[in-house]
Amino acid sequence: MPYNKIIIECLASAIGTMAFALLFSVPKKEYPYCGFIGLAGWLAYSLLKLCVPGPAGIFLAASTVVILSRIFAVRRKCPASIFMVPGLFPLVPGAGIYWAVYGLVSSDGAELANSGRGALSDAVAIVLGIVIVSELPQSLFSFIGKKHFFK
Amino acid sequence: MSGDICKTPVYADRGQGVSDQDVSELALYAGHILLESGAELSRVEDTIKRIHDAYGVDSEEAFVLSNGIFLTSGSADRGYYAKVEHIPIASAHLDRVAAVNQLSRKISEGAYTVPEAMALLKEIYKSPEKPKAHQILASGTGSGAFCVLFGGGVLDMVSAFIVGILLYAAILYPLAHPMSKIVKNLLCGAFAAGCAMCLYFAGMVTNPDAVIGASIIPLIPGVAFTTGIKDFGNQDYISGSVRIIDSLLVVFSVALGVGIVISAFHNIFGLSLI
Repeated sequence: MPYNKIIIECLASAIGTMAFALLFSVPKKEYPYCGFIGLAGWLAYSLLKLCVPGPAGIFLAASTVVILSRIFAVRRKCPASIFMVPGLFPLVPGAGIYWAVYGLVSSDGAELANSGRGALSDAVAIVLGIVIVSELPQSLFSFIGKKHFFK
Repeated sequence: MSGDICKTPVYADRGQGVSDQDVSELALYAGHILLESGAELSRVEDTIKRIHDAYGVDSEEAFVLSNGIFLTSGSADRGYYAKVEHIPIASAHLDRVAAVNQLSRKISEGAYTVPEAMALLKEIYKSPEKPKAHQILASGTGSGAFCVLFGGGVLDMVSAFIVGILLYAAILYPLAHPMSKIVKNLLCGAFAAGCAMCLYFAGMVTNPDAVIGASIIPLIPGVAFTTGIKDFGNQDYISGSVRIIDSLLVVFSVALGVGIVISAFHNIFGLSLI
């Protein structure tokens, strides 16, 4: 179990998430929170990968990101998107999408089917994570965010 | 007109001589900034309603699309207000969404009169972009960091950092003038892949897959996609479809640019990744 690798990747995820927070003009004082969510999302993904394979792991990691974003949204009195958008970036199947289109361009049907299916199911998992967690009642997050769990 | 409002303490103080129409004007301006900056549709509708409610105007009807707001308010005895605003899809400014959100909470608490709130909104709208140097550096840092996530080594990370910087410099300077989104993103994807391939054949990159994947990450339209999904979740299907199609088109053009460059290298120079 390569713990070093996971720690380095989590740090990279936090740094990358903060960089993209800047590109989306997130307010400066929220950068550390974005970085924390990026780190947590990748940590959840790396650990889940060991026991939950494939898109189910992505779904759970994306749900973690959205749940944390909604909690921070209450804590920081900000829209949840501010934390959610950069936080989801590490989970985006960027490489899968371009390999699928590369397969399309070079008429490599196997590559297209293989990468395309992987990227699509990962994207659907992220979408489900966003939609399902967004449906949880706001009162739940107000309760967690305001009083007992932090501070 | 403002006399009867002042007697009812539940409403926020509008200020001297402020009519219902001015309240609607303020709400529409707030909605405009939100929509243009990439807020989800339900937030735009809520904010418009919240501002009207705060100043005691209850006749408001707003119809919001992903690229326009139709707003009417008023009654026969107090005068009508109606306005349509076209708001083209622009780049995301999450700081403006946060600022307008904060302001509308304060308005609900009765902290500002209408002219004060209007002045604050104008300030939010004029808030400067992040300096270009910061954006370019952030793009490089993001690409470098994500290269590690995609399994790249130290040299790959440095290469992705360089490509990320070159890519965003290209976006902010030569590609900055208005052109079709498809063409622009195709060029961006091709440029990023071209730089990465050059570094690969110069012997710097060991894992070209990770470098190319990471260097196109700054092009992924995260805000449009996430907002579109949320709109779908709120049953705002028209606006959700527009935003999702917009972001899928971007992703597809970028990937196409990358694919074309990789196969060009393969077919013209006989250089292959695999």
